[in-house]
Amino acid sequence: MTSTVTSLASRSRLSSAAAAARRLRAVWMLLLVGVVLTIASPVFLTHNNLMNVGLATSVAALLAVGQTYVIVLAEIDLSVGAALGFTAVVTAQALRDHGLVAGVAAGVAAGAAIGLVNGLLVTKTRMPSFIATLATMSVLSGLSLQLTKGNPVAVTDYDFQGIGQSRIAGVPVPVVIMLVVFAAAGYLLARTRFGRHVYATGDNTEAARLSGVRTDRVKILAFVISGVLAALAGFILTARLSTAEPTAGTGLELEAIAAVIIGGTSLAGGRGTLLGTLVGALVLGVIDNGMNLLDVSPFLQNVVKGLVILLAVFLDRNIDVLRSLIPKRADGTAHRGPSHRGGTAAAKTR
Amino acid sequence: MRMQLADVHKSFGENHVLRGVSLAVEPGEVVALCGENGAGKSTLTRVISGAHQPDRGRVLVDGEAAVLKDPQAAMALGIEVIYQEFQQNLFPHLSVAENMHVLDRDGRFGRWSVSRRRMAEAASSALRDLGLDIDVRRPVGELGVAERQMVEIAKAMTHKPRLLILDEPTAALDERESERLFEQVRRLREAGVTILYISHRLDEVFELSDRIVVLRDGRVTLDEPTGSLTPARVVTAMVGDAVDDFYPKERNATDRVVLRVRGASGGDAFHGVDLDVRAGEVLGIGGVVGCGRGELLRALFGLHPLTAGTVTVDGEPVRARDPRRAIAGRVAYVTPDRSGEGLAMQQSVEANVSLPSLGRFTTADVVRRGRERAATGKVMADLRVRAASPSVPAGSLSGGNQQKTLFAKWVMTGPRVLLMDEPTRGVDVGAKTEIYRIINGLTADGVAVVLVSSDLPELVAMSDRVLVMREGRPVSELTGDDVNEQNILEHALVGAP
Repeated sequence: MTSTVTSLASRSRLSSAAAAARRLRAVWMLLLVGVVLTIASPVFLTHNNLMNVGLATSVAALLAVGQTYVIVLAEIDLSVGAALGFTAVVTAQALRDHGLVAGVAAGVAAGAAIGLVNGLLVTKTRMPSFIATLATMSVLSGLSLQLTKGNPVAVTDYDFQGIGQSRIAGVPVPVVIMLVVFAAAGYLLARTRFGRHVYATGDNTEAARLSGVRTDRVKILAFVISGVLAALAGFILTARLSTAEPTAGTGLELEAIAAVIIGGTSLAGGRGTLLGTLVGALVLGVIDNGMNLLDVSPFLQNVVKGLVILLAVFLDRNIDVLRSLIPKRADGTAHRGPSHRGGTAAAKTR
Repeated sequence: MRMQLADVHKSFGENHVLRGVSLAVEPGEVVALCGENGAGKSTLTRVISGAHQPDRGRVLVDGEAAVLKDPQAAMALGIEVIYQEFQQNLFPHLSVAENMHVLDRDGRFGRWSVSRRRMAEAASSALRDLGLDIDVRRPVGELGVAERQMVEIAKAMTHKPRLLILDEPTAALDERESERLFEQVRRLREAGVTILYISHRLDEVFELSDRIVVLRDGRVTLDEPTGSLTPARVVTAMVGDAVDDFYPKERNATDRVVLRVRGASGGDAFHGVDLDVRAGEVLGIGGVVGCGRGELLRALFGLHPLTAGTVTVDGEPVRARDPRRAIAGRVAYVTPDRSGEGLAMQQSVEANVSLPSLGRFTTADVVRRGRERAATGKVMADLRVRAASPSVPAGSLSGGNQQKTLFAKWVMTGPRVLLMDEPTRGVDVGAKTEIYRIINGLTADGVAVVLVSSDLPELVAMSDRVLVMREGRPVSELTGDDVNEQNILEHALVGAP
């Protein structure tokens, strides 16, 4: 008995890597768009352009990291865009008045505080996260405008500008930050006890609580991570533009949510990876970039993006149907779990 | 209505639920239908209400063969059912009046635009007929359980039923509310409505019925006027005298007390419970649904408030304000609601098994996967959890293997006390026996087990001792040869003799 278990285990480790790649459908989407653009535009596959894609993607991608934690927990954080604007303004003002360290510290503290408030609202007052974060979004965007009287705040600190404008070994610092954050957050989610608790809580909060998981604390921490990363994204945007715009983050929460969903994370919770989110964010970034290269009207760009999101989610939901149209291979024994895909999403309407 | 069933058979796959049921219900008669869980009561109800079609046999209404192809056909003949889960048939956000006339089949309140005033008047008058004074404009969600049930009955009455079937109608009611329900039932009988009353509370069955019919294993084992019966005879008819060798019970009880509970009360659910469970002992708790046994287990695991009393495990006080603290006190709980609070179905079997014990496999919060896999693999092999691999989602396993996974998760924590509520619910026969062997293994290791089960043969066979509860209070403790279905039922239903 034991030996069969171990042999099954080692076999499954091999196949689980293959399964992970297969599961990451967004990769195919990214490759498809990449190939099309490489053919359509000679500029696309150049170092400079690819770095531009990374640079343009980094801000929304950082928001999407926090959003992934929140969505795996079957919650949502609509406040990240407004949190980005608010923390950027707070950072710029503290930086102007008290220097670099104070600016960064104020931004991080503000982001953490926003996440804490969101988390407490969702867990302690049992408010649906959609409503709670919609409200904090509104409060934060108003506060940003009030603090600045609607004007942008200039940032002249040379070191701070470096966060957005300098390069390390030819790679822009924002791209480095993005990759480091993804690696760290991915490790946290996939390998640590906290990550396990996130998946278990998102899948079945009651079962997790009965297993001794402090589900409220897990959710609060996820919102705090989301808030702090919004502040980090705010640093990058502010440093790149050398100004903090109170409205800088408007709409970015939707971009972040789209990246997470394209990356295969289920809105019903319990399922999703940060690698998927990274790929999802890159898909959106590459499409933006490609449309600029191909001179697509800026008005039409949003139309195309919307269609891409629909296509990605459609493929994700219907992959089993599509696959059943293709004749099965002889070794088609690989296990496919119950079809939670559409099933649980419909069943778990939280 | 005169309603007859002649040799009705019904199977679901291999499961032969009704094996030739014949009975007759006369107009204006209250007939009580009794039987243990799984005796076939619900299936019989569903055959009469048109929800199931009999495989064989006939249903006669007023002497003529009736074809009840669906519930609508039964309703057209004047057959109404108030199901035990009646709450599911009500819309909590709609008003009482709207709920009562959801199926305004003949368009009485206007075909295109519904007249709220006329609807409210009709609803009030229907409620008044039952002697009830409920504001029909209130949303049903604001009513108490008893009032909702009355609304459901009033709703059935608007269809002018000739046969009313009540399935466990007092399960959610307290004594006073039940008394009001009984008044209504008597009133309906006066009005000539035939009533089929399903209950396993013998006191109310004897109080209310003209005749008692007992089902066991899909057959009628008793059908006599209530006046000529005693509770003991009804219980005997329900239980039979079948003894089963299907339970591999091992006796591992020692003298050392592991779980000691003194004066435990949990709000309105249970009062003044004392328990002593010894190492290796299985203490069964008997009683009908609603007697407080489920809440007692939940309170010991921190899921229900313990308003008074003390709990110790191996002499150490355990204050289980939440499951975390209970687990830290080496108490584990197998929930009766496997999918709702047992397993995270999308996560791997392995992740489910290790979840409460993850701390044992972490270094600086990082999970050591090799150690985790080795430890979970061993427990899963010991408990014979059959999964294609430890990394398949728990939801992909069969019910029996899911249940064993749930056990594996708690065995892994090394509990001193294992509380289990309906441990074999929704599990096939083979897996049941395996779960009994798991219980044996636990008691052999000196774990104290508390077993709650509505499967009476299981409770009798697997328990060393049985505490019977009734209306939130322990009423008697059965040991040795006194642990049998007859005694448990008698004490649970009618109190200590």
